[in-house]
Amino acid sequence: MQHPIETETGFVGHFHDGLGWYVYPTHRFKTITLQAFWINDMDPATVSFGALLPHILKRGTVSWPNFTAIQQQLESLYGATFRADVGKIGDKQLISVSLEIIHGQYLPGKPDTLKAGLEFLNEVINRPRLDSDGAFEREFVTQEKELLTRQIHALINDKGQYALYRLIETMAKGRPFGLRKLGRVEDLAKVTPDALYGYYQTVHRTSPFVLIAVGDLDPDVIASYVTANWNGSRRELVKTQPYTPLNRDYEVIERQPVQQGKINLGYSTRRTFASTEYPALMMYAGILGGFAHSKLFVNVREKASLAYYAYARLDAALALMVIGAGIEFDDYPAVKRIIGEQLEAMRRGDIDDQEMHFTVQAFHNDILSEEDVPTQLIGRQMEKLVLGGGLSGEAMIQALESVTVPEIQRVAEDITLDTIYFLTTDHSATGGDEAQGE
Amino acid sequence: MNEITNEVIGESIYLNQLSSGLTVAVARRPGFKKVFATFATHYGSIDNTFVIPGTEEPVTVPDGIAHFLEHKMFEKEGGGDVFNDFAALGASSNAYTDYTSTTFLFSSTGRVAENLEILLDFVQRPYFTEANVDKEKGIIEQEIRMYLDMPQDRLHSNLMGALYQNHPVRLDIAGSVESIRTITPELLYQCYQTFYHPSNMVVLVVGDVDPESIWRQVERNQDRKGFTLQSPIARIFPSEPPAVRVPRVEQRMPVSAPLFMIGYKDTQISGTGDALLRREVAISLMWQMLLGKGSPLYAELYQAGLINERFHARYSGGTTFGVSAIGGETLDPRRLESWLVERLPNQELSREDLARLKKKEMGEMIGLFQSPEDLAYAFNNMFFRGIDLLHYIDVLSSITLDEIQEVRDTQLQERSRAVSLILPVAGNESKED
Repeated sequence: MQHPIETETGFVGHFHDGLGWYVYPTHRFKTITLQAFWINDMDPATVSFGALLPHILKRGTVSWPNFTAIQQQLESLYGATFRADVGKIGDKQLISVSLEIIHGQYLPGKPDTLKAGLEFLNEVINRPRLDSDGAFEREFVTQEKELLTRQIHALINDKGQYALYRLIETMAKGRPFGLRKLGRVEDLAKVTPDALYGYYQTVHRTSPFVLIAVGDLDPDVIASYVTANWNGSRRELVKTQPYTPLNRDYEVIERQPVQQGKINLGYSTRRTFASTEYPALMMYAGILGGFAHSKLFVNVREKASLAYYAYARLDAALALMVIGAGIEFDDYPAVKRIIGEQLEAMRRGDIDDQEMHFTVQAFHNDILSEEDVPTQLIGRQMEKLVLGGGLSGEAMIQALESVTVPEIQRVAEDITLDTIYFLTTDHSATGGDEAQGE
Repeated sequence: MNEITNEVIGESIYLNQLSSGLTVAVARRPGFKKVFATFATHYGSIDNTFVIPGTEEPVTVPDGIAHFLEHKMFEKEGGGDVFNDFAALGASSNAYTDYTSTTFLFSSTGRVAENLEILLDFVQRPYFTEANVDKEKGIIEQEIRMYLDMPQDRLHSNLMGALYQNHPVRLDIAGSVESIRTITPELLYQCYQTFYHPSNMVVLVVGDVDPESIWRQVERNQDRKGFTLQSPIARIFPSEPPAVRVPRVEQRMPVSAPLFMIGYKDTQISGTGDALLRREVAISLMWQMLLGKGSPLYAELYQAGLINERFHARYSGGTTFGVSAIGGETLDPRRLESWLVERLPNQELSREDLARLKKKEMGEMIGLFQSPEDLAYAFNNMFFRGIDLLHYIDVLSSITLDEIQEVRDTQLQERSRAVSLILPVAGNESKED
């Protein structure tokens, strides 16, 4: 078989009728990375099932009936890295199973680790351990529900992530993109082993599926593996819906016993990855807060000494931008003002040649650097697939290079503040809260 | 340059040393788009008492000064910072400080020679003033406060404070909000002159580069600066008794469930080089055999609902300290603790597990060479302890079950054991207004 290489991304392969595969053939890596995805809509009714499923798949298969057996098998495969996980792009929940394994040619005796890796994936995805009634093991489901519940609660341990999630949730106002990839505790409580097994069967049969591989391997092996194991009549991938703002300058202040305040601002950008103006938007966010030379870092950190970090980041799927910084509680008004001034400067086109040049170069560096990391290459291909287009690699670099200041000003015009979220102190923790020994 | 190869994993590192004592190392990654380079000094947070070269009396400097110095190196004479010099060449730059080292780095997909020149020059050109030192205090205070809100960071930091009575590894790497306020330009220069001498440093370049041309460039750059050999640095560490400072330490924070960590202070740590490596590999294998994801004890604890998948057991250390830390989130810290304390000394160690875990370690070592950041961290960390990274595989394959048994007996001492807990604050509901 001959498969055309997508020159822009370096991947070989295709995706249609909800089924596909991609291979990035290269001698650069000593590992082979395989990652399989099911792509589903974020839906309050099913998001908890999607979050729980990978945990069950990790617990046991027909050949390796428990967690220990699976882990020992991975150790025998020269410490292969195995993940069964859930991810989120825009309003899509991705259930993924991945394996990174050393290519046999670099190992004593040259074992066929690609074959072993595909067999492993096959076991986990297609041959989960079932109980005598033909459903998932009840005990596994009960235990994993409990652990996932705790993991959802544990969001509060990471103040930066917590603040970010609360911002997005507030902006979503009940829309699916505001759900966490792990789902909600109240929905998870209702999941039964039988219903979960039913969900697995449905997803297995109908959800859009793609297998992506990176390494020194023959694309035909992956192509025939997918053809042999997966049917072609699956649900089509539905394009991600960008968000429309429902708030304007809405402010939420939350109090906890913390040592540092977290300010997060959410903006509507009106442009997604697939937009022809997305490169201009990338330049906008890069100049504003993508790097150490950016306006936010320079003005909030270097000039005013108000923060250790200050960034602006785009969500390419949802057409939104988030600005974040960790600050002193009392500096909230000052930081808000400085951030506002930077956005105003962007709108005025107050951008010099150096900022343009540095930002193009920094993106250039980031984009090429991704190509040295197999999982980042896969992430890029997935984003392109789920978002239905957009530029990547060299084509993106060229597009960024041709962006002009007026084009950045044009995208700046449409950027509106949706919500400000501030996590601040409840004054119950003092500055020197020391640990107490017994 | 001298090529040092390990045949089993088919990897090489090129090494050479300049007359100033600076070591230059290169790991080639053919086909890689990115070049990752570090310039590191064997100077970290624990080096807080030392003799300044040319003087007699030891000095003790404020906690967190190594990290503060790392921040200040990016400042240039006449204003402006080094981030911009790298940005002009499309490179990104950063730095980090740990207990024993400070590392400056850049990553770029082009113009390697120019970027390397900037790296070599800014790390060797300090510029500290009252104004620029004062300005940094606000930034670092926010960095410290960020860590104070990270429960995992507190958990580990509190454990170190419980295990160690005197050794400065008991202190936070960044110091405290109070200690950094006492830092002055004069103190920074003292530390700089002592620890940033080329003989205390190593340059490492990872990427699709020619080792010889890297060597020649560094040599030319250093020739211009006229460094002479400096006598070895006198670092002074207090003696550390085998007993812990306190056996338990607890802190309340806004967390969803208790975080538990049990630690063992390594009281046998000594020497450098292969002996140190051998001990570290044996202890690491021991923890994987006892509590790795494929171990029976891990399965039992998981089955009992005492741990989750992020539970871990690992050893880390320098030449003057070493700690095994085991922990994670649990709803029942007391039960987890007693289970571990009872089972760890008696759990069976099997030959079959050892053989399998050696395969795992070997695969991970091959994988390490594919990640420039991780490779640089591992290489520098070992280099400063006199360890040759490429000896790892040979040492690994020769470790015996008896050695694992022996390190277990020396590691699991009750008097050197402490527990750190982060407990939820009472009524941990967030309030909104």
